[in-house]
Formats: sequence, C-alpha cells, structure tokens
Amino acid sequence: MNLSIDEATQKRLSGIRAIGESQIRPIGLDADRLGRPTPPDHEFFGLLLKVGLGRSRWAGENAEPSDGEASKESTPARPGSSRSMLCIAEEMSYWDRGVAVSFPGPGLGEPPLLSMGTLDQKRRFLGPFLQPERPRWGSFAMTEPGAGSDVAAIATSARKDGDHWILNGDKSFAANASRADWILVWATIDASQGREGHRAFIIERDTPGLGDFVIERKMGLKAYESTSFTLRDCRVPDENLIGGEEHYARRAGFKGAMRSFNATRPLVAVMAVGIGRAALDESLAFAREHDLLGLPRVRDRLERVRRGLRAARLLCWRAAWLADHSQPNIVEASMAKATAPTVALEAASLGMELLGEVGARGDHLIEKLFRDVKAMDIVEGTGQVQRIVMARHLVQLPRE
Amino acid sequence: MIDFAPGDELELIRATAREFAADHLRPGLRQHEKARGISPDVQRAFAEIGFASLEWPEELGGNGLGALARAFVLEELSAGDPGAALALDPLGPALYPLLELSKSDVTGELGQPLLDTPGSRALLVWNGEGRRSKLVNDRGVVSGTVPWVPADRVDLLVVLDEDGAFAVSEGIDLKSVRGSGLRAAGASELSLIDAPIRASFSDRSAAARALARARLYKAAMLVGVMREAAEFSRQYAVDRVAFGKPIAHHQALAFLITDMATAVDSTRLLLHDACWRIEAREPADEACATTYVEAIEQSMFVTPNGVQILGGHGFMQDYPVEKFMRDARALGLFWGGIDSAREDAGNELIGIDGPVPLSVEAQL
Repeated sequence: MNLSIDEATQKRLSGIRAIGESQIRPIGLDADRLGRPTPPDHEFFGLLLKVGLGRSRWAGENAEPSDGEASKESTPARPGSSRSMLCIAEEMSYWDRGVAVSFPGPGLGEPPLLSMGTLDQKRRFLGPFLQPERPRWGSFAMTEPGAGSDVAAIATSARKDGDHWILNGDKSFAANASRADWILVWATIDASQGREGHRAFIIERDTPGLGDFVIERKMGLKAYESTSFTLRDCRVPDENLIGGEEHYARRAGFKGAMRSFNATRPLVAVMAVGIGRAALDESLAFAREHDLLGLPRVRDRLERVRRGLRAARLLCWRAAWLADHSQPNIVEASMAKATAPTVALEAASLGMELLGEVGARGDHLIEKLFRDVKAMDIVEGTGQVQRIVMARHLVQLPRE
Repeated sequence: MIDFAPGDELELIRATAREFAADHLRPGLRQHEKARGISPDVQRAFAEIGFASLEWPEELGGNGLGALARAFVLEELSAGDPGAALALDPLGPALYPLLELSKSDVTGELGQPLLDTPGSRALLVWNGEGRRSKLVNDRGVVSGTVPWVPADRVDLLVVLDEDGAFAVSEGIDLKSVRGSGLRAAGASELSLIDAPIRASFSDRSAAARALARARLYKAAMLVGVMREAAEFSRQYAVDRVAFGKPIAHHQALAFLITDMATAVDSTRLLLHDACWRIEAREPADEACATTYVEAIEQSMFVTPNGVQILGGHGFMQDYPVEKFMRDARALGLFWGGIDSAREDAGNELIGIDGPVPLSVEAQL
C-alpha cells in the first residue's frame, strides 16, 4: 500500500501549478467575466503546445502491434497512467476546470479511438495531434436534447448509402465542437435495436450537413464552449465508422460507449475534488483575513469539507487504481462520481457563507467556483444515474 | 505510486480474522451480550492465533506488525461482534500509551502479564479535554470515578491526557452497570481510591500520538460494525418482497443502500490512509482524528438505516441490526468522542497557511 503522491507526479504537478497561477486561473476569470469561451486563437493555447500539452496519448504507429489489431495495451502512454492522469486533472481543475476542458487535444474522442479505432483511423485522426503545428481540437458528441445520461436513447440516425453513411440528428453540449477538426458522433443504425444499434463516427470539419453550431450560455465553466449542432443528411465515408463494421459485429456499440463513461468517471470526479480544494483554500484564507477561524462552528465546517474532499480523492484514486490493474471498477467509479461533486459543492457553498455579502457581489473566485462546480454532478452521468449503476450491482436493480 | 494493494501478509491476516469472526464471534452474538463475556474456549483460540500480540514489539516477543494489520483485524472481528472484539484484546488501545511510555522494560513489565493470561483486560481512559470522568492525581495516588468502561474486569488501567499518561493496577473498584452497547465486553463504573501510580510519562507529542492511535482503533471497529450493518440490511432488502418486488428495487431504498455502501468505503479509505501515514512515519494525528469523526458520523448514518431497512423486524432483537446501532453508538463515545476529535483535526487545519494538503506529498 502507498497512498502518497510520488516525486515524479509531484514534479509534474508543480509544473501545472506554475502555469495554473500565472495563466489558467486568470484566463478562467476573464472568460467568466466576459461570458464567452476563450477564443481558439488565444495565445495561451499556443503556449500550451510549446510546453508539450494539447497532444494525443497515442504512442504512434510504430508502437502498434504488427497485425494492426486495435488494443488498449498498444498505448502505453505514461507510467502509472490513470492514477497520474487523475492527479494532473485534479490540479488543472484546481486552477480552472473550464480552462482545462478548453485545452487543445483530441479530448473525449480519444479513448474510443484508442480502444476501438483501426490503425488507419488512429493515423488519420490522432496522427495530427502527435506534433501539432497549431492548436487542434477533437470533440465528442453523445448527448442529445432528449438523451442525457440515458445514452441508450440517442436518436441521431445513421443510414447506409453505398460506401457512405447518412447521419441525421441533433447533438447537445459537445465540448469544443465548433473549433474541432473532427467530432466523434454517436448515432444509431436502428433505434429498435437499442444499444446494439449504436455506432461511432468521425465527422470531419466542414462536412456538408454538419452545422447550426450554437455555443450555449452556461451558469459557469464559461471558458470552454459547450456547443449544440445538427446533422442534416450529413454524408460520412465508410472509413470514418470507428472500428469498421467488423468491430460492431464483434461487440455491441453500447459497450464501447459505456466503457468510455467508465474510464472517465473517476477522472471527472477528481476534477470536482480540484474545484473543491480551490474553494477550501480560498475559504481558509478569507476566514483568516476576517478573523473567523477562532469560531468553532467555522473551523468544524472547514474540517468537514477537508475530510470529505480527502475521502472523495481516495475514492477516485481507488477506482483509477483498479482500472490500471484491469480490475472491474464499475461500482467504485460510480461511487467516486456520486460522492466528489456533492462534497465539492459543499466546499464552495461554505465558502459563500463565509464570504457573506462579499460572495453576493458576484466578483469573487469562490462565487465562480460555486457556479462552476454544479456541473460536475451532472456531466458523465448524474449522481442519480451513478446510484442506479451501483444499485444494479449491489442489489441487482433491474433495467427497465 | 498510489497503490491500494495491502500485500500477501495483510491479506492472509485479514482472511484469518474473517474466518475467526465467522466461526467464533458471529454465531454467539446474543449469547456474548447476555453473558457479558466470551467463553474461555474462544479466548484460547484467539490467543493461539496471535492477534493479541499483533502490534506488541518484536523485541518483547510480539509480532511487531503495524497499524494496517490492526485495522484489518479489528474491522473483521467487529463485523462479527465488536463487544467480543474488545473483550478478546487484552491490551486494546491501552497498548499505545504503553508503547510510548517507555522504550525499555516498563512496557514489557506492564503489558506482558496480560498477554500471558487469556481473559485479562487493560483499559484506556481519557482524562483530558472533553472527558466525562474526573480522575485526580494527588502526588502519585489517584482518586475519582469513570462513569462507564466496557469491562467487568480491569487488570491494568492506563489514564491518558494531553500531557502524558500513567498506569494503575491496584485500588481499582468496579461496579456493574447495564451498559448500552458493547455489552459482550462487560460494563462497569470504575472508581479509584488512592490508587498508586505504577509508571508514568509526560510528553505532549507522545500523548497526542497515543490518543491518535486510540481513535484509529475505534474507527477501525466502527468500519467493521457499519460494514456488517450495511451488508446485512442490503441482503435483507434483496430477499424481502413488498408491493410486488424486492424492497431493494424500490428506488428510495436502492439509493439508500448505495449511499450506505459508499459511507462504509469512504470511511475505510480514510482509515487506511491514516494507518498508512503511521506506517510511513508521516505526521498522522490529524488524519487519525478526522477518521474517527468520519467513522462516527457515517456509523450514525449507516447503522440506524440498517434498522430502518428491516422495519419492525429491525427493532426486534431477533435480528442483529439493533445491536449494530447500539454498538456503533457506544464506539463513538470514547476519548471525548466526536467533538474532541473534530477539535483536534480542525485546529490542525486552521493552522495551515497556504494550500491545504489532502494526502501525503513527496517533498521536492
């Protein structure tokens, strides 16, 4: 057993801390004040490329197995992978979770490409992210106006037409979609087949029929764009069906989608821990400045927040550790995701109480964190959905 | 790198403790409570396994294992019967001041006779801030009363406060009381009349370490009790049918059950984190205190809901869940209870100037 953050990870965290303080947090506050996402041509994104961020985790085709078989093991990425990614993600979110999501890179489309994509697809869609000459984004679109956490209910349709597919439907809240080189879109070939009918496509920028981009207005996390768009008779070549038809013959489309949720739940949960930690640090500093720390009721509530954040972090770490050892982590991942956002909200909400009228002014970091953090209990499956997932395992709650 | 694997040795210890609890503790749950004690056979079996001397130093003939091993064993035994777990451990949390008391002969002289005599009991009593008892040390002799101790026999009494600890083994008078929880360990009012002090130390940081370890001891027991309460009521809810389906499939209960499981896991993770800090020789007093707070709070969420899930049956003594609730409540009342622990953890926190660390971080 070892529950400490090792030196190598610590070094990377202190690197993030440096740009966090000088860049990430001020840019997040700017975006919040201006009420718009950080523009794609902002010099900050170029700076990130220079320090080696905004790239794909794909190890490149030389690291692929010779038979070209898609496999997760073909991407050794970095030692410690999930766990060290968690530490990094938490630290980024500590400085600004919205800015962290706006970072260039293949984004949430990358895990399905890595696990399901053919070598040709990785080369075409992840290759440009290996040594990007300019900031590039990938995007991921599952959510629809009528299908949030209930991913089985997606209605975007894919119909085969010769060597193409025709896609029609509406997608919502896709991060970075309007600036992306491509969007990984989930669609169904036959809604009556349920999850079996799901397919993932890469839709490249400027494909005719892809359009109506609307950057939604949000309560918080304004630094990145949550974008809705439509697909109207959008023609996508066969080569852009992720994994090819053979892949879906082998395995149901839904499992791919659920696996990507599964891999990201502890990651999203730990981002909430980062936001909560920022709120705790700011609250402690404010309370000290205003002579509130001598009050036992203030001290006790701060203690409760720290304890909750520590437990939440451990829940996230455990889920990631299981994933790193290829052990089932469905209950553990959901536990982390169900827990961390509510603890982090409590942290920010307590911060608002300590601030009092200072918080009500609407220009304090804690007030922003209070708005930002609420999203964390909603994205990647709400707290309620996590409980349903856990209950399926703990008490065999039937699917209905 | 972050690693939750306990390793083969601890896995084996855990499996042994689990088996012992299933064979010897759980079946006699009500009988132990009624008899206010454990049969000599079970005591002998316990002594033979070597659990009593788990943390006893190797140089004194013990197993010299650490906080994690103790936490694993206590969780398993307490999932069986926490009162029995207390009754079986001759030194219990009194061990920790003894270890701090002296690096020499005194520790062995005080503790060894108890390890050699199955059924004997050492007790730790808190006499500092937040105490409900009053023991007065007047130039080497102690007088006063402790309203409740979970024992009907005391061979060695260790009294701890913020400044240090002392040990007493004569002049101890016990008056039987009914007890609320943990009755299998006995229940008495303890009085001292001019009891002579056998050994003592004054060292504030050693006293704080001993208190921290004592809190962790109870927290580990609470994890065991609430785990069992959560598991028993989960299984009941799967088996029990009402309104046409297992009650666990009504979402109000399904969600409650997932939250109870989460409460148990969260507390256990904090417990292991605190144990790991101790073994890694990192500062751990705050982590121990906050773990005890969490264990108490969560046990008061989990065990009453264990009763709730069983409904009327839960209130009856035919099922063990009402006992889990009483036992958990009692386990949260030691060493000044939740408020004292919260105060210590909170005072460490408000002393931090700068980012608040949640975990042990490697120094660069």
